[in-house]
Amino acid sequence: METGIADICQLEHKAALCRQKILRMCRAHNAGHLGGAFSCADIVTALYFHTMRHDPINPAMPDRDRFLLSAGHKSLVQYAALCESGYFPEELLDTYGCLHCKMPGHPDKRKIPGIEANTGALGHGLAIACGMALGVRSMGYGSRIFVVMGDGELAEGMNWEAAAAAAHHKLDNICVVVDNNHLQISGAVEEVMSFQPVAEHFAGFGWVTREIDGHDMSRIVGALDALPFEKGKPSLIVAQTTKGKGYSKAENVGAYHFWLPAEGELDKAEEENREVLKRYES
Amino acid sequence: MAAAGEKDSRIVLLSADSGPNSGFGEFISRFPGRYYEFGIMEECVIGAACGFATTGLIPVFCAPAPFVTGHAYEAFRISIGYMQANVKLIGRNAGFSYSDLGPTHYALDDIGLVRLIPDVPILAPQDGNEMKNAFRAMMDYEGPVYMRVCNAGMSEICEDKPFVIGKGTVLFEGKDIAILSTGNTTAAAIHAAKKLREHGVKAMVVGMPTIWPLDIDLLKQAAKTERIITVEEHFTSGGFGSIVAEACAEHCPVPVTRIGVPNGYATSGAYEEMVAYYGLDSSGIAKTVQQTMKNKRATC
Repeated sequence: METGIADICQLEHKAALCRQKILRMCRAHNAGHLGGAFSCADIVTALYFHTMRHDPINPAMPDRDRFLLSAGHKSLVQYAALCESGYFPEELLDTYGCLHCKMPGHPDKRKIPGIEANTGALGHGLAIACGMALGVRSMGYGSRIFVVMGDGELAEGMNWEAAAAAAHHKLDNICVVVDNNHLQISGAVEEVMSFQPVAEHFAGFGWVTREIDGHDMSRIVGALDALPFEKGKPSLIVAQTTKGKGYSKAENVGAYHFWLPAEGELDKAEEENREVLKRYES
Repeated sequence: MAAAGEKDSRIVLLSADSGPNSGFGEFISRFPGRYYEFGIMEECVIGAACGFATTGLIPVFCAPAPFVTGHAYEAFRISIGYMQANVKLIGRNAGFSYSDLGPTHYALDDIGLVRLIPDVPILAPQDGNEMKNAFRAMMDYEGPVYMRVCNAGMSEICEDKPFVIGKGTVLFEGKDIAILSTGNTTAAAIHAAKKLREHGVKAMVVGMPTIWPLDIDLLKQAAKTERIITVEEHFTSGGFGSIVAEACAEHCPVPVTRIGVPNGYATSGAYEEMVAYYGLDSSGIAKTVQQTMKNKRATC
């Protein structure tokens, strides 16, 4: 499919459908990295359904845009987006967490189409993106490489090697979106290992940056439509988000980084999601 | 490298401030648009190599062996190994080539590390002819390859012939004992075998420039001598000798004596002195053979 949906409401609907699929996988496994998947669901939706040039029928088309979920533990959101896009049948979602399943807890290039790299060991995505960006540019493709990172992930040193490399090689076909939800396993990111302000850190390496509300679809689309922010420089979007956004009990609660649903919780979360979906389906 | 680059336009060269010193000057000057310098960031370079490979290009990255392997291990393991990226990684100055620089610059564990990354062939050419032919084979191979090169000038001991990944060669005939060597220690092994002849010991020398996958058929042939010595500029644990010992235990149980650097933090000094200190010169190898010959012969 070519770059897709322009209507903001339709994109918001897609985001709710992705969250529904995330919950479906959590139900299958009775567990999942819910917090981070929900916090970047709106961003990932905009990328897959508005911005990126990609084709579920031809996942390897050479001039496609590429998506790397560097914060690979948020894999539920990528699986949801790929499923919603038509890369694999919905029934596969119910196998999440099973022995030999095609969707392990972190994206696996060998298992389902549409996954560009094995991420999850944090800090790797941007380096791979640099190689992709240089490679496609050398071949004359207009492909863009989108990388979603976590804010806690920024502590990994390889990110900064790659940030320097991206700027040095003038990779304006790279866009990083940092899912700045301010929470990680050990607590508030600012207290564990702060890389705030994120934008200034990247700007120091030669990137051009923008900060947005990561749950305002019109702002997300506006930023993505403005890429690259400056010719010859890589772009960074700092998306201010709420961990767990979309399930009231999980919002801004660190314990939902990896969710083990209590009795009745899945029902409640699914009910909240259905209420959101109703608004778009009426 | 330049010849390979001429033949295949998909080949690109990556550098972590390491390219110009890796003997790739001709490639760099002939194909500047296919040479990518990243500065001293080996982890990023290996990640980027994976990225290049996903676009159909064939990246080659050569840097000192400890920095290609230990330093960047996670990227090597996942982005190259698990993803089976068509990337060629060359660890130069392996072993204690940088003998005067101290342990931070030694790779005495690179074979051990890379052998635990499934489906990555490990090559250690034994002379200049073999290096040239092994390089061609590496570039023709569909998938990741690690080549280990020590820098000490290697005497010419191999025929100039096509290199077959997974195959070794009997370089010196004998029946009393088999010396299996890989990489730069093989010349010394042959010299030792010649010296041993003068003392009535007929040692076979088997060159194994592919460390993994090991040539099991040739190993079985060597095991008919009923005892094996292995030689490598690497820790005795975890490297070539360990791979041979494991294979012997499984296919043809004979005693295996491993010559290399004992597991521990190696010393520093002039290269030839280090080689002698660790028994990797021809005298040291011959001495180990003679000591081993005194042990009870095993049955196979």
